[in-house]
Amino acid sequence: MRILLAEDDAMLGDGLRAGLRQAGFQVDWVRDGMAAERELASGVYAAGVLDLGLPLKDGLDVLKDLRARKIDTPILVLTARDAVPDRVVGLDTGADDYVVKPVDLNELAARLRSLVRRSVGQLQETICSAGVELDPAARSVTCNGETVPLSTREYDLLHALMRNTGRVLSREQLEQQMYSWGHEVESNAIEVHIHHLRRKLGPELIQTVRGVGYMVQREPSGA
Amino acid sequence: MNTAPRQPSLQNRLLLLVLGFAVAVWLGAAVITWRDAQHELDELLDGHLAQAAALLLVQAQGDHDDVSDTPVLHKYAPQVVFQVFVEGQLITRSSNAGQQPMADQVEGFSTVRREDGALWRVVATHEKHHDVTVLVGEKIASRQSILWALMRSLLQPLLYALPLFALGLWWSVRKGLAPIRALRDTLERRAPNTAEPVSLTGMPRELQPLVQTLNGLLERIDHMVQNERRFTADAAHELRTPIAAIRAQAQVALGAGDDVAERTHALQTTLAGCDRASRLVDQLLTLARLEASPDTKPAAVDLSAVARRVAGELVHTALNRKQEISVLADAPCAVAANEVLLGVLVRNLVDNALRYSPSGARVEVAVHTDAQGAHLQVQDSGPGMSDEAIGHLGERFFRVLGNEQPGSGLGWSIVRRLLAVFGAEAQIGRSAELGGLSVAVHWPAVAPKTE
Repeated sequence: MRILLAEDDAMLGDGLRAGLRQAGFQVDWVRDGMAAERELASGVYAAGVLDLGLPLKDGLDVLKDLRARKIDTPILVLTARDAVPDRVVGLDTGADDYVVKPVDLNELAARLRSLVRRSVGQLQETICSAGVELDPAARSVTCNGETVPLSTREYDLLHALMRNTGRVLSREQLEQQMYSWGHEVESNAIEVHIHHLRRKLGPELIQTVRGVGYMVQREPSGA
Repeated sequence: MNTAPRQPSLQNRLLLLVLGFAVAVWLGAAVITWRDAQHELDELLDGHLAQAAALLLVQAQGDHDDVSDTPVLHKYAPQVVFQVFVEGQLITRSSNAGQQPMADQVEGFSTVRREDGALWRVVATHEKHHDVTVLVGEKIASRQSILWALMRSLLQPLLYALPLFALGLWWSVRKGLAPIRALRDTLERRAPNTAEPVSLTGMPRELQPLVQTLNGLLERIDHMVQNERRFTADAAHELRTPIAAIRAQAQVALGAGDDVAERTHALQTTLAGCDRASRLVDQLLTLARLEASPDTKPAAVDLSAVARRVAGELVHTALNRKQEISVLADAPCAVAANEVLLGVLVRNLVDNALRYSPSGARVEVAVHTDAQGAHLQVQDSGPGMSDEAIGHLGERFFRVLGNEQPGSGLGWSIVRRLLAVFGAEAQIGRSAELGGLSVAVHWPAVAPKTE
């Protein structure tokens, strides 16, 4: 999952980026409000972590403007402003979660996963389709009850597809969701990872929609 | 409230004073009346005694055949006694008079103790021609009882009136002190965190200065509380970020697993975060102390010596960053300041110059005196600051954008506060010689204060 981190403090930003990467997120880090708004508006991020006291543009203004532009990327506000009125304003302005510094990295990661899950209308922690079950918290995948070892990229690709069951994702969309800045993406990387996933999990899970992209079928309701 | 030692009451004090004074006046009046009445009574009764003696004397010149006892005609008669002697022989006497003359003297008034043990007022008169001596006496005690009756009728109503008077006085005093109680109630009803001044309308003239002083005090307290509150909020806010950073980095180090490079980096950043947090705490405390007690006694301090000392302390920091500090402060330069605070000021300026200048930069500290006063200049060869950024300096927690150095902007708040305490001014601009930031602090030359 690709996350945008907007934090102006060098030391904290560095720690959060490293910690969220350890938790399996792809993290891009911006240090001012203008950059945060620009990047979050691009729509490639599964969620954003937004500090409020940002230079150039205050985090609350960023949030307000994003919501005014109907950009509904889940945003977790991470701030030192702990007063109840601040929280209320933050949540009312459009924040999906409000966390006061300092925060436990595991908790932050869990909250982000929860935000992303809810943003795609998924209630359970794990995602199932065609006998394959993906657990974002444990970053584990089972096929018919048996654990299947996946590489980081394979897992990220599968997670992106299963998070968007029933939706066709283009190669570019998948790349944007999987790779943070500074990663060279080879042109056939997605095809290679899809190939490996089909070998490990069976050919019927991921469908190719010719000329458009790839899709994981939505599990029939009531399952 | 504390009730252990009995608090003096204004109302009781007034009541006792007025009541005591009234009673004293009454007593004084009673004593004067007593003495007056006694004097008048003595005059009157002595007159009567003399009159009676004269009558007896006239009568005795007529006949003195035999000794006779006069009958008792009035219940007060036993209180009166008389004896008539002719040629030394007792010829007439009242029934309660003895054989011997009551008094030794032959003319005038005297007070004697008779055989019955009581004191008597006796008047004697003598007629030489017939050698008649008349003695008329009256019991002093009867005079006293008349006086007492007189005084009783005079004082009794006052005695009954006293409690009534006290009650009325109590009510009046209570009524008169009502504004004080009203003020107390107003103060009691105040919410503990309001700074609203107490209204002066309808306040008695005597209480106005008190309430004005109180309002001034409230205002000062409110100012202090606001400062304190803002400071606490700022401090909490500003400490959260480094603590969050320390926490995140420590957690990253724990989760780094086999990645030695990542763990080392995270641990080093954790340490740097601790240094940063402790520096922030130092700065916050300095600022808090400055704001709590801004009136530190200034004395003549040698600015050059302070500059040299501070530069010496920071040389190590500069060497670590491969920076160079030079000090041009040879001549002593006395300024009116507190030595410790002056050290804090110079340290902040030099520390800022080092902190925000790159490795290899030069920092120059210069002190000199001229006709305008004392000058301290700290300049560096760093990137300097834009005019806009200079305008924001000293706002708490303002930091120059894009600066990698951890900082809180508190250093400048401290500098600005100290300048105000010292009565010095600072000019911030671009250094002509070194190209970076230049801070010139100027102490105006003042004639020694004559107080």
